[in-house]
Amino acid sequence: MTLSHLQAMLLFALAISVAFGFLGRRRPAERARFIVWSFLVFLGVGIAVGWLMYPFSK
Amino acid sequence: MSENAMGGELVSCETRRRMLALLAAVAGWLVPGLGHAIQRMWGRAAACFLCVGMLVAVGAGMRGRIFSQYGSDAFDRLGFFADAGSGSFYFLMRTIEKDGPDVSKADGDYGTRFLATAGVLNLLAALHAYEVARGRKA
Repeated sequence: MTLSHLQAMLLFALAISVAFGFLGRRRPAERARFIVWSFLVFLGVGIAVGWLMYPFSK
Repeated sequence: MSENAMGGELVSCETRRRMLALLAAVAGWLVPGLGHAIQRMWGRAAACFLCVGMLVAVGAGMRGRIFSQYGSDAFDRLGFFADAGSGSFYFLMRTIEKDGPDVSKADGDYGTRFLATAGVLNLLAALHAYEVARGRKA
């Protein structure tokens, strides 16, 4: 199985967000909000750290 | 009912609750989600099973490293502890990954992290099942 860096990060973020959402919140609406929020934070931080490291990649 | 009888009943109830909590934790560790399933928390059980299962399937598919109990250093032992957190899925990893690990590419390295995350996530879920059974969490 071959995944790009972004695909691997998306899968990882999705699995962790869903698990944390279900374990940490009880009401369906709260769960959905937490899952979306957590997923977006994972994505945002991942992309931000990627850009921060970009100057050192050359 | 006398006070002694009521006290005895309370102690027996507490012991039963503690035993159920231990059972939930061990079951949750052995099979991801089972600790919640025996408490009729179907959504949480399905989420744990699917998330841990997906991480294991993808991690093994990417040919991540599966640590054995015969690690040579502290990091290997820590890796085994993380991987073994998946319970029965630890053996599933070994079945899926027939060709062995390939960490020469980024895929294999990511796979190693996926497998370790699956184990740690399952341990967290088992601990959550224990806490719920003890009545400390909703």
